[in-house]
Amino acid sequence: MISEIALVLSGHAVWGRLLMIEATGLSKTYGKTRAVDGLSFEVRPGAVTGFLGPNGSGKSTTMRMVLGLDRPTAGTVTLDGRQYHDLKWPLREVGALLEAKSIHPGRSARNHLWSLAQTNAIPKGRVDEVLELVGLTAVADRKAGKFSLGMSQRLGIASALLGDPGVLLFDEPVNGLDPEGILWVRTLFHSLAGEGRTIFVSSHLMSEMALTATDLVVIGRGRLIADTTVDDFINSNTEATVLVRSPEASRLAEVLTSSGASVVNGDNGSLLVTGARSSQIGEAAHAAGIALHELSPQQASLEEVFMDLTSDAVDFHGITSATTRAAS
Amino acid sequence: MTTLAVPLPSTESGRAGLRHAIRSEWTKLRSVRSTWISLAVIVVAGIGLSALVSNVEATRWANLGPVDRAQFDPVRFSQTGEFISQFVVGVLGALVVTSEYSTGSIRTTLAAMPRRTTVLVAKAMVVGAVVFVVTQITAFISFFVSQEVLTAHGGKALPAGSSIVTQLRTSVIPVVTLANGGAVRAVILCGVYLTMLTLIALGIGFILRHSAGAISLYVGLLLVIPLVIGILPSSISGSIEKYLPSNLGLAMIVVTTRKTDFAGVLLSPWAATGLLALYAAIIVVLAAWVLARRDA
Repeated sequence: MISEIALVLSGHAVWGRLLMIEATGLSKTYGKTRAVDGLSFEVRPGAVTGFLGPNGSGKSTTMRMVLGLDRPTAGTVTLDGRQYHDLKWPLREVGALLEAKSIHPGRSARNHLWSLAQTNAIPKGRVDEVLELVGLTAVADRKAGKFSLGMSQRLGIASALLGDPGVLLFDEPVNGLDPEGILWVRTLFHSLAGEGRTIFVSSHLMSEMALTATDLVVIGRGRLIADTTVDDFINSNTEATVLVRSPEASRLAEVLTSSGASVVNGDNGSLLVTGARSSQIGEAAHAAGIALHELSPQQASLEEVFMDLTSDAVDFHGITSATTRAAS
Repeated sequence: MTTLAVPLPSTESGRAGLRHAIRSEWTKLRSVRSTWISLAVIVVAGIGLSALVSNVEATRWANLGPVDRAQFDPVRFSQTGEFISQFVVGVLGALVVTSEYSTGSIRTTLAAMPRRTTVLVAKAMVVGAVVFVVTQITAFISFFVSQEVLTAHGGKALPAGSSIVTQLRTSVIPVVTLANGGAVRAVILCGVYLTMLTLIALGIGFILRHSAGAISLYVGLLLVIPLVIGILPSSISGSIEKYLPSNLGLAMIVVTTRKTDFAGVLLSPWAATGLLALYAAIIVVLAAWVLARRDA
């Protein structure tokens, strides 16, 4: 913990230009569709902030607005109070990976990075350096069109790191990566955040964000659902459920219901109790002289919490989504 | 892990600007094969077609009557390759822009250079300069090769310094040098014509943002509209035709053998150059306007 703080502090010293991403009332309307609706949030330096939302919830649109590519219909998004458009050397302040495959298929990775470096007066040596960093040195002169999705993601990450920026935006960076690649990305993000940089990573994979991010911005249908930390998000949104098994299940259910808890039947004669802690359930059972065979608090995963929160905010429900939620 | 071994130069002064954008666009242009294929086609087809047409016209000489002989234009024949090149430069100019939209890399480009007009100007300058140099070299080589072809068919050089228009003879195939009036102008304007067409295609690329659409519109402007206007009553078509880009190109390159042939049909070379430059300017300004306003 202390070493982490020290890293963040040294980051401060090295950077001297920590950047906060700040969105205020950010909105974007395409025709009649409100892609982003009054979004306000902050992304702080020195942490990996996950940007979570179902597909089509406005994550990519928001990221494009941060980069000045799409113009907000209303509201603003700033980097330490500055508009992206006003950055003098944008790539040295903000690095971004929007889409992995957005590279001319006939151009080599090295030439792609070099053309990008030239726009912000970044020396050629830095191209080799980021290629090395993402492990693409051996294929640097191959056409990017021949790259796998995973290699393209690495090239996208290399281009984001090119200007050694204090703010990094990644849109779905682990798509197409193998488990080893995912672990590599996770480690990279942690080390970049440890250096004091601002890391903003979008994903629809909650399980991945639980391992990668410390902070969370959750959106659904373009609206903010939560701006919090991963831990708080789970704690505050988990209605503690306790699984109970007892030979006298029905009598126990009556006892618990009369004390204000709500009880539903689970698998194999078990009871799922909400509105009472496991200690309270145990004591109630003891007082009523009911034996318990199992008493186990259920920890909701980030996935479940997220599903519950955004179920109203998903545009396109698959047929299986209801059954998946019931089963989980 | 992410330690920076290569230090970045100071960012205290200046900002990412046109100078940087031009370097970047040059790297992009030279690092894809389609650029080199396009340029090779311009050089090879340009010189080849010009030499071929000069050869064909020279073999027909013996069967030409005095009127046709007086229209024999050794300069225009030497620039026939321009007909193919005008489509090649159009594809090149459009693809420089639309390939970025089709891959999505335009977002990377505009994020690195948020001042969008700078991106457009850099692209126009780089592809314009490359096309100008290559077409200019091609035009001069075509000129010399074609005159050699005519000489091989028994052509005789016009007296040095004489105007092609007034000095054409009907007895021998006329061969010209750059010293003959109008020749240098015609050859240089061939490259100018192709360069301005490149900028028009680039502008269309920014406006339509789609390769097939941009190339179709461009070809339509050069080939289809002249056909449509051609079927209109001549009283109408006659007054419109000379303003079409393809006929402006002809006006820029032709060294008329008898002024009356093209009088009223074509604009003067310099008027045609000015009008085509105006077309290109309108399209490029429109492109800059939509680029600045639209979401990327």
